[in-house]
Amino acid sequence: MVFKLMKKEFIEFRKTGKLIAIIVTFLLFSILSPITAKIMPEMIKSISSEITIIVPPPTWKDAFLQFFKNLNQIVFLIVVLLFIGSIAEEKNRRTAGLIVSKGIDRREWVLAKFLFQISLVFVLTIVSFFLCYYYSAILFPYTEFGTSLQSCLLFLFYMTFIISLTIFSSSVGNNIIQAGGIFIAIFIILGILNMFPSIKAYNPIYLSSLENQWIVSGVDWSSSIKTIISSVILSTLLVSVGVYLFNFQELE
Amino acid sequence: MSVIRTEGLCKYFKDKKALEELNLEVPKGIIFGYLGPNGAGKTTTIRVLLNLAKPTKGTAYILGEDIRKSRNYLRKVGFLPDVPNFYNFFTAREFLSFIADITGIENPKKRIEETLDLVGLKNEKSRIGTYSRGMKQRLGLAQALLPDPELLILDEPTSSLDPQGRKEVLDLIFSLKGNKTVFFSTHILTDVERICDRIGILKEGRLILEDSIENIKKRYRKRRVLIEVDNLEKFSDKIKETLPLNFLEIKDNSIIIEVSDIQYTLREIPKLIVQNDLVLERLEILEPSLEDVFLEVTSGV
Ligand SMILES: Nc1ncnc2c1ncn2[C@@H]1O[C@H](COP(=O)(O)OP(=O)(O)OP(=O)(O)O)[C@@H](O)[C@H]1O
Ligand SMILES: [Mg+2]
Repeated sequence: MVFKLMKKEFIEFRKTGKLIAIIVTFLLFSILSPITAKIMPEMIKSISSEITIIVPPPTWKDAFLQFFKNLNQIVFLIVVLLFIGSIAEEKNRRTAGLIVSKGIDRREWVLAKFLFQISLVFVLTIVSFFLCYYYSAILFPYTEFGTSLQSCLLFLFYMTFIISLTIFSSSVGNNIIQAGGIFIAIFIILGILNMFPSIKAYNPIYLSSLENQWIVSGVDWSSSIKTIISSVILSTLLVSVGVYLFNFQELE
Repeated sequence: MSVIRTEGLCKYFKDKKALEELNLEVPKGIIFGYLGPNGAGKTTTIRVLLNLAKPTKGTAYILGEDIRKSRNYLRKVGFLPDVPNFYNFFTAREFLSFIADITGIENPKKRIEETLDLVGLKNEKSRIGTYSRGMKQRLGLAQALLPDPELLILDEPTSSLDPQGRKEVLDLIFSLKGNKTVFFSTHILTDVERICDRIGILKEGRLILEDSIENIKKRYRKRRVLIEVDNLEKFSDKIKETLPLNFLEIKDNSIIIEVSDIQYTLREIPKLIVQNDLVLERLEILEPSLEDVFLEVTSGV
């Protein structure tokens, strides 16, 4: 059943143009990131010909720093925008009520959305990683595969948390505005909590800084494991609570 | 066995009592009309029966299952919402094949074509987003009928249909009688009169009348008689003298009287005619329409 419901999510994404939007965003930035990293120093030099600025020659690290910056800003935004209404808008438009009134298990209905979103983002992230790696390997003399791949894994953990948070927000909110509000509120709280060094390591959004740290100074699982575990626990909790709440909610 | 049986069903929204002590029984194979003015609680009842809203008190049994304990019965129920809204990106065919997929229908292609034909959407190829309200209502009926449910719960199934469409849909619902049980809410009393076996009238969350249409008409028969004679004035004077009348009205060329004892009245009128040498042109016992009953019951007269 979950698979059949995921299939509907996929068709919806395909028919409403959301699929093409998310694919283009991912692929565009995976190609653009190494290219910008390569030409950025040249550009800086060319606009300031009066004074000589010493810019170190760019490396594969700059390519991947650029890659993660784009993933964490624009791609992040697109992902949230496309997923935040997934449950809330179906409640608002009453299609959720119609489908569950046919005896479809509400928990499976929510889970299908979560699994579809996770699968889509995972596949696109991995494809994007290989594209970025490919261009980086062409443009720079040396690109470290292991480090960049493992940093990309951190991004997948981070995305799992973000998608869990959208699922939670969407199952609590009754329309896309409410769901968006809940998401932003929680995200801001996490942002504030991230300023306290003592608990920073347990904050899932710290994962996005770790990606950069790993690129710059090398992979370090042992000091990041706390963040990963707490992020996985929080993700599981958010999805479970979302599923639980939706299971008992009154629908139109 | 009753297909729907509610036991002291209550639904409160904060302090608003949308349903109060509802005891309803819908036997198998009949068409049940659920009537009531706006805000009476019809949609609320349907939402509770479909497990979309939880009862505050009491419970209901649908096809023998307690709705508080199980959701399995939903597989055997077809539902048409009052505001039909579907996924706009699908065409009717695609939507029905999604429904067929998740409800596990055998031979889905054939069944989908049959159902589309039944509701008159066979030649519709565009996306649901472009449909008119009436077309969505037809599609709503199609998706409810598709899995061949034992019980159909329809919330105002004819509210936005054209006269032709209304007739088709009513004929369709009527043709289901015996095979399926149909529970439908409506404001349109002529629809109810045409196809229902039993009705329930709801007012402010309370069921104030539940019976077969025949019994209701019998019970609420206003003892009214219409008479036409060649000399109205003379007759009206005479009848006022001889018969105990509750009410008399002269309208156009006829007299309408309301009496307590219809048998006695019908015996006396011919005598009066003969005694006064009048010509009887017309004598008719007036049937109450369901509308009269509805208005009388809901206005609390
Ligand atoms: N979610 C809700 N929250 C608060 N009050 C509600 C809610 N749903 C319904 N009500 C109230 O319950 C009462 C019954 O509403 P309901 O929609 O069941 O009426 P109805 O008989 O279907 O009316 P109509 O003929 O207009 O469709 C109304 O007074 C309505 O305001
Ligand atoms: Mg209603």
